[in-house]
Formats: sequence, structure tokens, C-alpha cells
Amino acid sequence: MRSENKLYSMTLRLSLIGGFALMSLAGCTADSSNSTSPPYGSKDQQIQNTVIYAVGAENTYANVIQQIGGKYVSTTAIISDPNTDPHTYEASPQTANQIARANLIVQNGLGYDDFINQLEAASPNTKREIIDVQTLLDDPNTTPNPHLWYQPSTMPRVAEAIATDLAVLAPVHKTYFMHNLHIFEQSLQTWDHAIAQVKQKFSHSPVAVTEPVCDDLLTAANLTNKTPWSFQAAIMNGTDPSPQDVNTVEQLLIKHQVKVFLYNQQVVDALTLSLLQLANANHIPVVGIYETLPYQHTYQSWMTDEVLALQNALQDHISTERLS
Amino acid sequence: MITKFLNFLLAPGLFQSPQVAHALILGSVVAITSAIVGVFAVIRGQAFAGHALADFGATGASGAFLLGINTLWGFIGMGLLGGLGMDMLGRTPRERDVTTGITLSFMLGLGSLFLYYVTTKTTATGAPMTIFFGSIFLVNPSIVSIVIILELVTLLLLVILYRPLLLSSINPDLAYTRGVPLRTVSLLFMSALVLTVEQSALVTGALLSTVLLIGPAAIAIRLTKRLGTTLLLSVFVGLVTMWLSIVLAYDSAQLPPVGRGWPVSFFVVSIILLFYSVIYSFTTKGSK
Repeated sequence: MRSENKLYSMTLRLSLIGGFALMSLAGCTADSSNSTSPPYGSKDQQIQNTVIYAVGAENTYANVIQQIGGKYVSTTAIISDPNTDPHTYEASPQTANQIARANLIVQNGLGYDDFINQLEAASPNTKREIIDVQTLLDDPNTTPNPHLWYQPSTMPRVAEAIATDLAVLAPVHKTYFMHNLHIFEQSLQTWDHAIAQVKQKFSHSPVAVTEPVCDDLLTAANLTNKTPWSFQAAIMNGTDPSPQDVNTVEQLLIKHQVKVFLYNQQVVDALTLSLLQLANANHIPVVGIYETLPYQHTYQSWMTDEVLALQNALQDHISTERLS
Repeated sequence: MITKFLNFLLAPGLFQSPQVAHALILGSVVAITSAIVGVFAVIRGQAFAGHALADFGATGASGAFLLGINTLWGFIGMGLLGGLGMDMLGRTPRERDVTTGITLSFMLGLGSLFLYYVTTKTTATGAPMTIFFGSIFLVNPSIVSIVIILELVTLLLLVILYRPLLLSSINPDLAYTRGVPLRTVSLLFMSALVLTVEQSALVTGALLSTVLLIGPAAIAIRLTKRLGTTLLLSVFVGLVTMWLSIVLAYDSAQLPPVGRGWPVSFFVVSIILLFYSVIYSFTTKGSK
């Protein structure tokens, strides 16, 4: 088990290095934003049918827009690379063009995607609908944790707002959008059910994290996050945590005071890597957490898989360092 | 009251923390070497060269982040390249000024490209803060022994160079007539300077790495004229500054924002400035 982990982390590191080299080559031409592929219809058909051009500041929101908008919406995601730290994203002129073209924009708020406000202000458009998730949820600016999509109550409200706005932009297709909204809401039940199971079996289980990305999910599952907030905030903001905090988190792992170590795969530094090693050495199951939608996933399947990985860790001590 | 103050000064866990222990070892070797090399750098008028070398190193460190290797190798690799270039290209001082300026701008530009890739294309977080302002508490423990060896090499180099370096620093013409190989001495000293500054960058970051080089040296030079005493005093000031800074940075977790801790580099520069101002005002008054 241990040597396997070591081998895994070694191949991981090698593939990371290779990946960087490739990326630095490919990065010159490829833009970081990708259109999410439409669920059905050929490309020609899609262009013919497209009436609405939508942008999700993060691919998580773009995925939900696409699910609600279906064949009548073409969606672009600005932050979409699961191999980068979204907190440090910088906008390019191409992004500005996408924002200028958009009829519907969904953004997170809470300083997570501030760049998009500037781009919106730079290209005024009265016919554009903007859903700011922070505003939608009525969260104050002082909300410390910006990762709103990990809160189970968030996305149903966002999806509803998307459906409403799409219906305003294309009233003819209102029934279609509402139907998709209904399907989306139904499909979230698998996730809710998975959370309920963890909550029922493992309430108050102590866990540690590197970064606050999934804190709201942990709260929903009634797990106890033992990591000091100041530590989580420092990792999130790319500053150094205090030696005291580092020591606290190390002790949590060494003394087996936590059942699971939740590791943000997109916000990594030498310290988080050393904690990952420490967790592995002490046989504390690790669950890899993502900030943006991983490849080959929908929002629902991603969230469900994270909770299932968490359950595997709590129940059978199985690590899931990366979602497939 | 007193216990409360003591409790603040030596915050709980200070002596148990492995991070603090590593920081103290690393900080001490860096402070000692910087203080000694710094005296020669100040005499030779190469304080600015030291700063330029650290900036070169920052580009290397950014590249190291991109490749996922330890920043120390990036700092030293690019620093040596930069030092070599600076020593080879510029013969006259004015020429050296211009060539250094242009290559330095280019290198920092290259660094900005590397950092752009690090922040937008990799999962790495906090790279700019680490490179430019240092993170001594989070230095990989495996690097500490390497730093100790490299600092010993640097000091050994200085011991070998001592006499010719001293002569060529104070009176180059006399050194030339005495048959001192000026180019070789200059190149070797440049290498020592690179090693010193780049390892200091691990502690205080690239932007502030010259503070440990010129700060203690400048203070010591103000206080005494004898070289041996200057070197000892410089080391003393460097060490005291380093230790105070590490302890204060550890304590500062009790200051707002509670639990976060202020950067060590902030304390280093503050203490050096304080020392220097006090010594400066005293020595100027005394001479009048």
C-alpha cells in the first residue's frame, strides 16, 4: 500500500513535470478557456439553433448553464483548467471579447472572479443578464469562504436563476428551459442522498483540509474540520501560514486526530505536498478536492464523486487522491 | 505583567517548533556568511551588484517553480550565470552599469513570464511571495544541510582569497604591481557573492536579500576601522538581527490578523534600519 502510494506520487510528479513542459509549449497558442461541448446535436446544428451566448466565469457554472440551456445556448467557461489555481487567474484580451459577446454571465463573486466585473464594465450591454452568485445568495462581502458551489443549497438557486434569465432572453423556449431545470434539480438528489449517508454514519468525525474549498460540504455532512482557519486562509491566499499553525496541522496527522485529509489538488505548494506525504506516511486516507469542474464530469457527478470518495475514506480508509 | 510580557516574547511552542529550529539554523548560517562577504562587498562598492544578482536569481527561482524543483537551484543557477555575465561584459564602471541595467531588465521580464505560467498554468500557489519576500519557516528541511555546505564553501573561498582580495579591494593599482591576478580574484569574489546573496534570498526573498549583506557590514564599518573587528562585529549584528527577527515573527502570530504571523523579512529590514539609524546618529555626533 505504502510503496504503491510512493510509486503513484512519483509517476504523478513525473507526469506533472511532463505536463508543465507540454503546457508551456502548447500555452503559446491555446487559450485557457474552452467551450463546453453541447450535450447533443452536431456542430452545424448547434450554430443554427444557438440563440443565446452564455459565459460561466468558472466551468462549474458554465456546466450548469449548458445543462439548463441545452441546444439553445452556447456556453464558454473562462476558468476551466483543473490543473491551475483559479485564485491566481489573469484575464486576457480574448476573455474580454467573450464577455463583450455574452447575453448571460454567471459569476461567483466574493472576490473570486473580480476580473469579470472589470471586463463587464468595459463593455456595457443593457441586454445582458448577469447572475452574481454572491448577490443571489445574499452573502455579505465579509463571507470568508468564497467556494460557494460546495454548499448543497447553492446550485439549485443558481440553476433556477439561470432558467429564469434564459426564459427572459428567449421566451419561446421557456418550457424547454423549465423542463431542463426540473431534470437538473432531480439529478441533484443523488448528491444530497450521499451527503445524508455520510452525515448519518460519520457525524462529528474529525477531518483536516489544506484549503477551505470544500468547507461548506463538510459542514453540510456535519463533519468537524480541525484545521485552524488562519492556516486555510493562508494557503488559499498564497501567503505563508505561521509556524504554530503548520505545527498544529502536522500534529493532527501525526497523532491521528483526524480521520481524513482533504487535499486541494489545485492549490499546491511545498508545504501542502509535505503534508500530503505526512498523511500518507501516517496512513490517513486522502481525498483530492477540486476547485473547478474536473474533465469528464458534470457538476452533479463531480460533487457526488467527492462525497463518495469521502465516504470511502471514512468507512474503508481508502484514499482517492485524484478523481478519474 | 512580566510573565505576560515574557509569554509574548517567547510565545508558547517556540522551542518545540521544528519550523523555528530549521529557521534558526538556516538563518544563522546565512547571516554569518552574508555579514562577512558583505564587508568586502561594501569596501569594493558592489552592494548594488549584490542586489542585481538576487534579481537574476528570482528569475531562476520562478523557473524552478515552473519545473517543480527546489527554488535554491534556480536562485544559484541563474545567479551564477548573471554574475559571470556581469563580470565578463562590463570592463569600465559606466559600461558595467548599462549592461547590468539592460540584462537585468530582460531577466526580470523573463521572470514575469515564468511567474505568469506558474500562476495561470500550474497548481502552485504563493510563488511570488516566496520568491520575492522569502518564507524561511517553510523551507524544506532537506535543503538546510545543502545550504550549510554551500555556505562553508563560500567562507573557504573567502579565506583563500583573503589577502589578494583585501589588497585588490583597497588598492587595485598596488595589487596589480604586486602581481595579484585581479580578474581571477574579481571573478571568484563574484561567485562568493552569488552564493551568499542567493542563499540569503531563501530567508528574506530576492528583493530583500541584500539587507543581510550590506546592513550588518555597513553598521560594523561605521563602528570600527580594524578589519578583524569589523568582520566580527558584522557577524554579531547579523546574527542578533536574524534571531530577533525569527522570534518576533513567531510571536507576531499573536498580533492581528491573529494566527497568521508577519513575514520574517519585515522584521529583518526593520531591525537593520533601527540599528543603522541609532549607530548613524551616534557616530556622526561623536565626530563633530
